[in-house]
Amino acid sequence: MAGPDHPSRAAEARCGVTDWWQYLILLGLCLAITAPLELFGAGVYRQPRRLARAVVPVAVPFLVWDAVAIAARVWTYNDEYITGIHIPFGVPVEEVLFFLVIPVCALLTYNAVTAILDRSRRR
Amino acid sequence: MTGLGYTVPAIASVLTVFALEFAVLHTGLLRQPAYWLSMVIVLGFQVPVDGWLTKRSAPIVIYNERQTSGVRFPCDIPIEDFLFGFALVTAVLLVWERQRASR
Repeated sequence: MAGPDHPSRAAEARCGVTDWWQYLILLGLCLAITAPLELFGAGVYRQPRRLARAVVPVAVPFLVWDAVAIAARVWTYNDEYITGIHIPFGVPVEEVLFFLVIPVCALLTYNAVTAILDRSRRR
Repeated sequence: MTGLGYTVPAIASVLTVFALEFAVLHTGLLRQPAYWLSMVIVLGFQVPVDGWLTKRSAPIVIYNERQTSGVRFPCDIPIEDFLFGFALVTAVLLVWERQRASR
């Protein structure tokens, strides 16, 4: 039996092709779960310029860190669970999306929490 | 645990974000209850998402254990990931707030 201590056999036991989408599906779920938070307050997606100006300048240094860490083999990615599409410097496309998706989820959370706290204060 | 190629930059990233706020941006974000409450919620979601990415049974991200502190908690999450996540999310929220302040 493929137990938790045998990652290669555990991976082999599952069907290969659909597993390539695992990381992308995880990011998609993050976006789907946080999407309703847009309904609170002024929203995040409704302020696209402000959103881009907050997310992109932070994503860039984090992607540089990611590329350096990959080059230095501080961490690597399991080919079984990524699409195999890379940007230069060996960074998987999923990582680029990670640095866009996670900040958007955080902004949506902060937007909703701020709106709810403001509403309760006004009461 | 020799190089700490993840531990040292993870700590540095958090210090950089604090320096960014207190020396440059001055948004006051870190004094807002809404920020800390949001961070608790983000942390709550980081555990399942990051836990899925880093689980030793079928990892998506594989760490060179010689470059980390070796402490993986909860699940199999390297504790450095929480510093990394804190820095990433706080930096974005700071720049987001800064744009309101500058308007």
